[in-house]
Amino acid sequence: MNEQQISLDRMRYIKNKASSNLAILAILFDVLYFVNLYKSDVGSYYYTILIGASIIYNLVFLLAAFLASEGVKTYNESYSYLLIVIGVIQFIRIFIMPVPAHNSYIEVINSTTKEMESIQVMKSSQFIRQIIYLCASGICCLVSAYIGIVRSRKLKAYEATLGEEKRRD
Amino acid sequence: MANLTLQHLDKIYDNKVQAVYDFNLDVKDGELIVFVGPSGCGKSTTLRMVAGLEDITNGKLLLDGKDITRTPAKDRDMAMVFQNYALYGHMTIYENMAFSLTLRKEDPNVIHKKVLAAAEILNLTTQLNKKPAQLSGGQRQRVAMGRAIVRTPKVFLFDEPLSNLDAKLRGSTRREILLLHKRLKATMLYVTHDQTEALTLADRIVCMSMGHVQQIGTPLELYDHPANLFVASFIGLPPMNFFDVKVELGKLAGKGFEIPLDAHDMKRVQKYVGKEIVLGVRPEDFVEGGDIKISVLSNENLGMNTLVNGHIVSEGNKFDRITCKFRGWCNYKNGDVAGISVKRMHFFDKETTNAINEEK
Repeated sequence: MNEQQISLDRMRYIKNKASSNLAILAILFDVLYFVNLYKSDVGSYYYTILIGASIIYNLVFLLAAFLASEGVKTYNESYSYLLIVIGVIQFIRIFIMPVPAHNSYIEVINSTTKEMESIQVMKSSQFIRQIIYLCASGICCLVSAYIGIVRSRKLKAYEATLGEEKRRD
Repeated sequence: MANLTLQHLDKIYDNKVQAVYDFNLDVKDGELIVFVGPSGCGKSTTLRMVAGLEDITNGKLLLDGKDITRTPAKDRDMAMVFQNYALYGHMTIYENMAFSLTLRKEDPNVIHKKVLAAAEILNLTTQLNKKPAQLSGGQRQRVAMGRAIVRTPKVFLFDEPLSNLDAKLRGSTRREILLLHKRLKATMLYVTHDQTEALTLADRIVCMSMGHVQQIGTPLELYDHPANLFVASFIGLPPMNFFDVKVELGKLAGKGFEIPLDAHDMKRVQKYVGKEIVLGVRPEDFVEGGDIKISVLSNENLGMNTLVNGHIVSEGNKFDRITCKFRGWCNYKNGDVAGISVKRMHFFDKETTNAINEEK
């Protein structure tokens, strides 16, 4: 058995921790994203059906990403495709909440001057953070999926050769 | 190569209780030494001192001539297998076996080769992806051994590894340990309270009692020439029968029996004439037919042998209890009187409890 074969053989007993950990990291970035979003207090801008949908999707994302992290750990290729889907959605989400909020202004009463003033719903600093979190989460999902697919295909091919050897024996 | 030397080891705990007294032993490379004795005799404490899990109060421990008395356990190049397996439940068998090497940051491919080689030796190849909870007790103990093997230590230490297994599994795992020792040719120290394990596994046995070494020798030496009453009673199953007897010229006089002594035996006990000594007779050293009469209490047929328990009787009086092991199948009934004779005897000084041997 040469070094490359040993590395492949190891995969039969070692879990795909890289993919799994990246999926967990994606969850972490998503949590940072929604914590950063939900702490916003800018009048009634967020009081729409959209925020409800966002909360539900976050729950779905957490569940899907966690299941996928467990799935890719055992070289299950189909969970990698799930990670691709939720990873792509993370990028799409930038245009659903952060971008519109960053471009929106609402009228609020200034608590000191007691006068109406126009403020930006999502300031640039928060907007950049939100984009970073969602992008990081999406990238983690996609890289995790890529590693998962590559490794699971390698393992499958190696196991097929083992099966052939057995048949030959 | 691993020669281990234990010089005058003492273990005194903080509460001043002394667990081991002046333990001396030279273990040669590739030797399998078994520490045997009843619970609390200090055998596990000695092993833990060797492993570095207990401090050595006095004495020296040398490994290949190098003093390792104060060396931390992790640097002693020894691997220990515990009674309770000590496996990580959340890890697979592969991960359990690879764990110590992973901690040492060894090359993953090297780890893989070592783990697969150990699994092959221990017949665990098909179990590597399972968790410990999915394995039987014997398999778990093999995993614990595998974890020791992958480290390729200088000395293997086994602390009652078979005590958690049922009788059948204990027998098969014992044979596996023996094969493992033959295959690895490694120096091994093995602790057990089971004298059968000691007799079947050991190159040499260290018999201990109350923290003192009673005798060190090959299994046959301990069985045939026990150094004292303790060793004689501990080694052998069923245990040796003991009788208080008076040495007379040409014979031994016990309660309810007399045994003539040949010239050789008479020479052994010459200086005890007129005094009392302890006579020891192994159950298998009794033969059917003879002048000593026993009243049978029970007859246990074991297939090849029969265990007969009873009392020595003489003129209607019952004396000492006795256990005989006769060859073949016997059919004594409770209350039957059988005649027996003695093939081989062991003599012990009544005061010192030491064996009485022929004076050179």
